[in-house]
Amino acid sequence: MSEMAGDRVAVDSGDVWPADADDIAEGYVATWFAREGAAVEAGETLCEIQIEKVGVDVPAPVEGRLAEIVAPEDAEFERGDVLAWIEPG
Amino acid sequence: MADAETGAGVEAGERDLTMSRAMVEAIETEMRSDEDVFVMGEDVADYGGIFDSTEGLLEEFGRERVMDVPISETSFVGAGVGAAQQGMRPIVELMFADFFGVCMDQIYNQMAKNTYMSGGGVSVPMVLMTAVGGTYSDAAQHSQTLYGTFAHLPGMKVVVPSTAYDAKGLMHNAVRDDDPVVYMFHKRLMGLGWMPAPEGPKTAVPEDEYTISFGSADVKREGSDATVVTLGLHVHRALDAAESLAEDGVDAEVIDLRTLVPLDEETILDSVAKTGRLVVVDEDYRSFGVTGEIIARAAESSLGDLEAVERVAVPDVPIPYARELERAVLPGAEDVEAAVRSAIDE
Repeated sequence: MSEMAGDRVAVDSGDVWPADADDIAEGYVATWFAREGAAVEAGETLCEIQIEKVGVDVPAPVEGRLAEIVAPEDAEFERGDVLAWIEPG
Repeated sequence: MADAETGAGVEAGERDLTMSRAMVEAIETEMRSDEDVFVMGEDVADYGGIFDSTEGLLEEFGRERVMDVPISETSFVGAGVGAAQQGMRPIVELMFADFFGVCMDQIYNQMAKNTYMSGGGVSVPMVLMTAVGGTYSDAAQHSQTLYGTFAHLPGMKVVVPSTAYDAKGLMHNAVRDDDPVVYMFHKRLMGLGWMPAPEGPKTAVPEDEYTISFGSADVKREGSDATVVTLGLHVHRALDAAESLAEDGVDAEVIDLRTLVPLDEETILDSVAKTGRLVVVDEDYRSFGVTGEIIARAAESSLGDLEAVERVAVPDVPIPYARELERAVLPGAEDVEAAVRSAIDE
């Protein structure tokens, strides 16, 4: 479920983890499609991450503004790390 | 609908796309608006295209309109030609341009010539979409660009996008064209997780549809000292070279051809009239190809404007598998930079 911090909603890498990748702990950010500051709709693809060479699209959990990208392109991250923050609105 | 030849009239939003997603967006839009548009090729359905050129289409359109085919290029390219002649608008994917050899008769003698041979009795509104290029150690039979091979023979339009923005507009135009279009996309530009693209091909892409006319080259960087004419991946390498040259006060213009057939001679000649120096950069073989053709056209029309010409291309050898050898034969930004300096020193 989406973590909240203040008014912001986390884009949580754990939310999109494929069921068959339970034994994998790390991922890699391939591409960001939304820019910081952009208005995004709930469900809109924000970025693509790679988990064991499988591409996974990460949707926006809520409508709002993409306030901060925490894991930029080429970044490696752990399962459950926050990829970005959205200010709902 | 806007014509985005110059980008005017279309507001780029805050959304960026990779080149593969921009191509798919154009294809799915065309498939929604015209039931005669369908996709056929090896691994285009369940796999979504091995370079993501058809990713997600099966889910929306089903197997009637997104068809995996057996490994028989002659039969499925030929089936595309037949469907097109019957009024459909097939998008047929040839997985690698290198494989054209096994279906050469269907491409060269049927797709490209049937309109002519029938005296205009049939047209062939087909898109032959195909992956080109190296940089990832796939060796001599899976790394060629073969631009010259396709642009050489009359009857086919030849499209080579270098950015997501261009890829979408050119794909819309390709599907709507009433004649066969060969749409050659460079694998390294697609934005695949396993084959990261350089900076540049991922661009803002409007969600609305727009077309980019064929035969309209794009000046990707303006400059006054030398004209660099190129296409595909090497647009980005030329831009890198231009940036490096600018640090030394050398101002290079970079022209992205976007289509080889038709060829926008006017943009090239206007630029050469300004700079006097023409450098052509190609990832295809040096001999009998794009570099020689562009320089010949400039010489025919504007010989007096030319102070120097240079060409940068793959020396006439098969593309090596070994990473360092492949890097050595494929033109890099440093090769473009050296050629521009050489043209200016001449």
